[in-house]
Amino acid sequence: MKSKSRLPGIYLAVVTAISYVPIAVTIIYSFNHSKISSVWEGFSLEWYERLFSDADIFVSLRNSLILSVLVCAVSAVIGTLGALGVKRTNFRLNKVMAYFSSVPIMIPEIILGMVYLALFSFMNLPFGIVTLVIAHASFCIPYIYMMVSGRLFAMDPSIEEAARDLGASPFEVFRDITFPAILPGLLSGLLLSFAMSFDDVVISIFVTGPGFNTLPLKIYTRMKTGVTPEINALATLMILATTILILLSWKLNKTGDKAEEEK
Amino acid sequence: MNKRLIAAAVFAACVIGTTGAVTAEELPDISGTTLNLYTWDGMFPQEVLDGFTEKYGVKIQYSNFDYDEDMLARLETNGASEYDVVIADDYILKMVNDEGLSEELDKSKIPNYDNQNEAFMSLFYDPENKYNVVYGVGIPLIVYDPSLIDIEISSFEDLWDESLADNVAIIGNYRVIDGFTLKTLGESFNTEDVDKIREAGEKLVTLAPNIRAINDTNTQDLLLSGEVGAAFMYTSQVTLALRTNPELVAVYPSEGLGIGTMAQFIPKNAPNKEAAYAFINYLLEPEVAAKCFDSDEFGYYCTNKPAEEFISEENRQYVVLPDDITWESGEAIQTISDEANEAHMEVWAEFQAACGA
Amino acid sequence: MSMDFSGTVSKGRKRKRGRSWTLLVPIYIFTLLFVFLPLIYMVYLSFMTKAEVWGFENRFTLENYKKILDPLYLRTFLNSLKLALISTLVNTAVGYPYGYFMAKLEKKKRDIMLLLVMIPFWTSELIRLNGWIIVFRSKGVLNLILEKAGLIDKPLKLLYNYQMVVFGMIYALLPFMILCVYSSVEKMDWKLVEAARDLGGNAAQAFLTVTLPMTMPGLLSGVVLTFIPSMGLFFVADLLGGNKIVLVGNVIQQQLTKGRNLPFAAALSVVLMILTSLFIAAYRRITKTDQLEGLI
Repeated sequence: MKSKSRLPGIYLAVVTAISYVPIAVTIIYSFNHSKISSVWEGFSLEWYERLFSDADIFVSLRNSLILSVLVCAVSAVIGTLGALGVKRTNFRLNKVMAYFSSVPIMIPEIILGMVYLALFSFMNLPFGIVTLVIAHASFCIPYIYMMVSGRLFAMDPSIEEAARDLGASPFEVFRDITFPAILPGLLSGLLLSFAMSFDDVVISIFVTGPGFNTLPLKIYTRMKTGVTPEINALATLMILATTILILLSWKLNKTGDKAEEEK
Repeated sequence: MNKRLIAAAVFAACVIGTTGAVTAEELPDISGTTLNLYTWDGMFPQEVLDGFTEKYGVKIQYSNFDYDEDMLARLETNGASEYDVVIADDYILKMVNDEGLSEELDKSKIPNYDNQNEAFMSLFYDPENKYNVVYGVGIPLIVYDPSLIDIEISSFEDLWDESLADNVAIIGNYRVIDGFTLKTLGESFNTEDVDKIREAGEKLVTLAPNIRAINDTNTQDLLLSGEVGAAFMYTSQVTLALRTNPELVAVYPSEGLGIGTMAQFIPKNAPNKEAAYAFINYLLEPEVAAKCFDSDEFGYYCTNKPAEEFISEENRQYVVLPDDITWESGEAIQTISDEANEAHMEVWAEFQAACGA
Repeated sequence: MSMDFSGTVSKGRKRKRGRSWTLLVPIYIFTLLFVFLPLIYMVYLSFMTKAEVWGFENRFTLENYKKILDPLYLRTFLNSLKLALISTLVNTAVGYPYGYFMAKLEKKKRDIMLLLVMIPFWTSELIRLNGWIIVFRSKGVLNLILEKAGLIDKPLKLLYNYQMVVFGMIYALLPFMILCVYSSVEKMDWKLVEAARDLGGNAAQAFLTVTLPMTMPGLLSGVVLTFIPSMGLFFVADLLGGNKIVLVGNVIQQQLTKGRNLPFAAALSVVLMILTSLFIAAYRRITKTDQLEGLI
């Protein structure tokens, strides 16, 4: 049932365009000569120069990347296994557990941060990457769990059963049937998780250790002191990088799809 | 003869003193270790940090907090054992010292100790100069753009002027804002009389129609971009605003100033105290201190007397405290009783609600 | 012919695998240690007495909860609730058609759109909000355009009001709604819609009887994922509201920092959590969706 109307297209275009306005402004103002982002004073690459001489920023960028990748890996494993387990068992407690696991996205980040600070020092965990991964995973697992279960419950169970009846091992069933079915959900869960972890400030303030600054922490504390053009330059580069990355993965995906079709 | 002898003795003492200090300074071998520095972002130019690493071979890990209270929370929770040098605001230092979270300083390890401006020593948070070394001073001021407003502002009271409707930006520090209202009533910033605080609260609510935004960060941007005609903001923001637009007028409000100091301390269980002493001493070197205050981003008042002459002519007007500003012209915003603080927070919440209505 | 489809799957008897419970071990351990335990601690804290300088004393009190009933704080809760409802409503109105239209595009265009939705999401929220400030301020981009076009002679004061906070909330949370709706529309069985049309229903009827119920789980996740954070997103109110609109998130933050009142902040958080849970439960009851895209 294809709609002939052009309305949907126009609607999508307008809303998307609006959501890109602040990004466009950020990019434009990263080339602004003026130190304060209020007046346009001509084109300049000054802030990019400043940015590249700022070793701190790049260290924290590296930290953030490592952190977010680790968080995604941990959350993907725990969340996906959890979703599979909940579907295959019917413990009474599953519902309760699922409710509690979603609590970290229900309470304000700042109190979560404070509570984690107390908990981790009570547990004697060294503050730094370990505590950051745990804290971030707490709010990423629900996303993954949610997205994967959504897929699982929409799946027709008879296919898995048929495969098993035909003699496939549990691993083969998972690899060939279950996994491809949940993959889109897992991927969108991962995309969300990465974005949330990579952007988190409030919880990180409390659970990071000495010397482990993440990029958003750096940006946040720096925006406080008012040096924004450099941050705009950084944001521009990051937008560029993510766009390239996403385009690349999309290209790869497409060639993968084609190969699949040829098979 | 006698005079010459004394002079010689003094000279000798000085030489011995300095060489003595130098050896004492370099005695503990700290090269190869790491110094954990914990304060707001942007407190030092990179070259100052690099200079320390070069001189002592100590790597600096610079971590940031956002609020003084976040720092306090961490120190309390982790037994003050993670960081070596912390710089924070006066009122929180009082708590840190009272809670026994700071190390009593061994001044023999800080040969440059006397470079501190005496006016900013022996303050309420450290009356006997046991724990802290002052780093800088801030005095929030009113700045206005004469082309955008019709009146001349000279006092806090003027902010209530009807012609400023929806045209004023203020910082979000409730003690300072409630405090200047107390000032307009002739009270102290630090009054613990809850009735007086509530009375100030009633007056503060009437300021709401003039408030365009309560903004703790980048408040100067509001003024510079013409969003508001007047702003009451932190010293660093005042400096940034005046540097960017010299047409702006800074006002030392006639009712009296709120003077805030930032100082350093070594947490009680700091992992690398020797490096901490070396760093504090390094920051007290006049040339080093001058570099900190000369930087374009910093913009607080310098508290290192000998450093003043090394600050560039251009920046001196902003970061060297004018001679006529002394403790006579204002007061520190001190820690007050829980009850009074609670009253302040309620007053502030009412005010915010009135601004949003 | 409605939601029962996935409902029966989850409720129906499944073949039990003997070792399936092992899959649950990590999530149970994690949830117990890093969610349940902190939560208990938070609830415990909320009944304790504030210490003079920092932290709390082990003295039981109901004072923290009593304080919430103070009109000052009660008003903040109501304000936050109202704002969250408004922004969730607008988010649904804007995000549902977006996700729906997007899912109906052809594969190639759909992928592009998905990327376009994700890219802003990957940029720091603070930076994007800062971008909006540049657009909306007195001498900002929008005022400049309007002035050049001769539509206004004096710059409009657009920033620092309630509408701006709502706008900021919607902007920050719209991608959640879009992604949730999209994923449920995308996996929908369009044959059912066709069947409804074949049986003589018009487009609106087909939408109401088939599409809407089938996409309800996605919509519900979207509502939950936008409603919950909008109760706590304090920096939107900070940056775009000029700190003049006070939300529960802001009060909690203030109590934890300037107030150094950990127990009161904990009590506020507990109440906030209960409110959010109640809201979700009520919403589930009303929309009769049991399967919330896996959540709960």
